[in-house]
Amino acid sequence: MRAVVSLFIVVSIAIVMVFLLIPRDRIFENDQSISKLSGKKDLLAAYKLGKLKDLGYLDYKAQKEICEINQASKDCFSAGSSEINELIKIYEKDGYTINKTEDGFYYVVKDYKTSRLILNFYSNLIKIDHTGVIKDPNNLELERKVYFAKDHNGMLSIKCSGCENQYLLYFNGSFPFIHQNFIKLNFGISYPTYIGLNTFSVISNKQGELKNKEITFETGTTAKSAINLHSCTYKMTEAIDDLDKAKFVNNYAKCTSNYTDPSMIEVSYIMGILSLVFSYLISIPLGVVMAKERGKLIDKIGIIYVNLMIAVPSLAFIFFVRNIGSLFKLPDKFSQLGFTDVRSYIMPVIILTLLSTSSLIIWVRRYMVDQTNSDYVKFAKAKGLSEKEIFNTHILKNAIIPIVNGIPSSIILSIGGAVITETIFAIPGMGKMLPDSIKAVNNNMVITLTFIFTALSVFSLVLGDVLMALIDPRIKLDNKGGSR
Amino acid sequence: MENKIILSAKNIIVKFKVRNRVLTAIRNVSLDLYEKETLAIVGESGSGKSVFTKTFTGMLETNGEVTNGEIIFEGKNLLENKKDKDWEKIRGKKIATVFQDPMTSLNPVKTIGSQISEVIIKHQGKSKEEAKELAIELMEKVGIQNAAVRFNEYPFMYSGGMRQRIVIAITLACKPEILICDEPTTALDVTIQAQIIDLIKNLQKEYGFTTIYITHDLGVVANVADKVAVMYAGQIIEQGTVEEVFYNPKHPYTWGLLSSLPQLGEKGKKLYAISGTPPSLFEEIKGDAFAPRNPYAMQIDYEEEPPMFKVSETHYAKTWLLDERAPFVEPPVEIRQLHERLSKMPSVKGETNE
Ligand SMILES: Nc1ncnc2c1ncn2[C@@H]1O[C@H](COP(=O)(O)OP(=O)(O)OP(=O)(O)O)[C@@H](O)[C@H]1O
Ligand SMILES: [Mg+2]
Repeated sequence: MRAVVSLFIVVSIAIVMVFLLIPRDRIFENDQSISKLSGKKDLLAAYKLGKLKDLGYLDYKAQKEICEINQASKDCFSAGSSEINELIKIYEKDGYTINKTEDGFYYVVKDYKTSRLILNFYSNLIKIDHTGVIKDPNNLELERKVYFAKDHNGMLSIKCSGCENQYLLYFNGSFPFIHQNFIKLNFGISYPTYIGLNTFSVISNKQGELKNKEITFETGTTAKSAINLHSCTYKMTEAIDDLDKAKFVNNYAKCTSNYTDPSMIEVSYIMGILSLVFSYLISIPLGVVMAKERGKLIDKIGIIYVNLMIAVPSLAFIFFVRNIGSLFKLPDKFSQLGFTDVRSYIMPVIILTLLSTSSLIIWVRRYMVDQTNSDYVKFAKAKGLSEKEIFNTHILKNAIIPIVNGIPSSIILSIGGAVITETIFAIPGMGKMLPDSIKAVNNNMVITLTFIFTALSVFSLVLGDVLMALIDPRIKLDNKGGSR
Repeated sequence: MENKIILSAKNIIVKFKVRNRVLTAIRNVSLDLYEKETLAIVGESGSGKSVFTKTFTGMLETNGEVTNGEIIFEGKNLLENKKDKDWEKIRGKKIATVFQDPMTSLNPVKTIGSQISEVIIKHQGKSKEEAKELAIELMEKVGIQNAAVRFNEYPFMYSGGMRQRIVIAITLACKPEILICDEPTTALDVTIQAQIIDLIKNLQKEYGFTTIYITHDLGVVANVADKVAVMYAGQIIEQGTVEEVFYNPKHPYTWGLLSSLPQLGEKGKKLYAISGTPPSLFEEIKGDAFAPRNPYAMQIDYEEEPPMFKVSETHYAKTWLLDERAPFVEPPVEIRQLHERLSKMPSVKGETNE
């Protein structure tokens, strides 16, 4: 519960900062369409207001829309008609500012208050797909049902008619093997980079080039295509064309494609996990040895290393290590060899690993020193157990608890490190996306990433506690005691 | 009591490296421990009680070293044990130690049972099942009810007294020759203390091990011990049977120690306390270490270290007052009346003290 609250607070702060503190005009700086509209004052204003509305800054309605919503007569649509004047008054009372174009058409604008901004974000955050979602006036007979069916690979899946997505649940060979479309997170649209896409899709969709393969469509047509049949969503009947009709038997014809490369999330994830594993593999034995050989050479070397790592700014360190990598002909930019070449990953993973070793080593060392001075270890020694036995059966068992509890925070750390590392190596991952989208004033993307990073941290802390409760006998009982 | 010597420590000197300085914690101490007896070691904090007994099991911290002396046990000098491997055959198996704090002596994340079993497996080469049976038996012996169930519980589910019982069970698991109890009851409350002391006494009768009992509580000494060694600034300054040391103490430090017994406190009178502080062990000590605090100190006390004077076959004290040239000094009045006063106090004079 505390976890959810802290997530809520952090993200709300991010929303407020992004929406209120960043000047609105900056988001248009990188939009090419703006220059095409220069000189056409009304069109420009309408374009910008439309975008701002899409991004959730404000509510904006042009005269045409006002008339449509209120189901007014034809008269309403003409400039200066008495009917529109009446309607405008209602909006004026409602707090909208009333504006007129050069041609005399009205449009109304109302900024959202802070509380409304936050409310809007959270009320749109979770999208649940169900059979009533699609409202297609040209397809009133659309069946509405959820059913089990085999997919094109012959795997069992849950499909839907009437939902946004055709597949609600399906299995395939890509991680995490089971996929669902019941619940989707919706952070709004991406702008001005990756225009029009859902921000979450931008980072979770695969990247790279189209991956074509022979596909047999439901109609029986076979073609070489990159279409991802699991991704198909409903396409309005009016938009269905002959090509669609050749491939699909129903309206679920809006599909995304298969790409060759992993998504941004996956890229960051792969590197994060790899470096985490390596950093534990290095730090734990090293910390243990340093504690055992306290004051001796290896301990001194280790301490110098740790101090260096702490003292040297990580940015400098990353450049330094990258240059060493270049000596061994390893790429200093990810794109040089791309996703498929192992060499692309070596340097970033080494750097991420080393960055997280220092704190871990020093922690393990201190922990081990504490443990060897602890009474239970002394008593175990007095019992006649050998150092090895004490380590394997006593200290290790104790150490696993804080180690497990600490893994989540290491994950957070490695994410923090990933932001810089991914940027320097130009790795197309989540970490690089953050500074990129800040630079591009892609506000929704910034909020999305903030949400994901925070959620990840919070989740991992909770996970750490849960894991600890599972392995620490003392906590297990406390919980039972509490519920009694 | 005509018993064999089971362990004999001779001229032990222990030094610790503390940063760049050397601290001499034990300054040339010799002690003979007799089979089946209970020896109590008393003395104020920092006098070296723990360090001295740790040398018997090679348990000194890594910055410490026995620089001189020998410890003869079963015909061998224990100090020739250089590797931990050699010590492992002594520790727990021949000489076991009970530490002060039962709350922390047990590993919090291992079951009670596994912590008892592991010594049995290690030292007696028993299988897991056999070890479990023996462990449960031991648990019952030290007074744990429902032992078969509690075998699988964790230390935090046990009270302090219970844990100390478990610690004792562990130390007895391999039927050691010598049991060193380093303030085994200090961390426990009074009623539990009495129970643990009784438990150790009863087990000693049954198992017949020799006990070294380190304590600050002279009441406990009177209750459990046959012999007493009084330590001061890294030396044994007086030793003898309980009777001799309590009722005929010779060293002024022992006088002070005895008269500061809280049990002797009388309403309205201030409790006696030895004034001053013990000397720094970093510097070399000239003469009698106790001299600066000794109201009866003589010139020689500041110049030359006193030898161990023999008072009786079993009673020795390290003070110039016993030299024939020294003037006769009467112990303070509290000490002279100690016998009388103590015998009036059944709580101090234990019921089973022969
Ligand atoms: N590892 C160590 N490093 C440095 N000095 C030590 C170490 N262990 C003990 N000493 C010193 O040796 C002296 C004797 O310590 P010891 O623990 O034997 O005292 P003690 O008589 O057991 O006291 P207490 O009644 O408080 O347990 C003390 O001055 C102590 O500071
Ligand atoms: Mg001690």
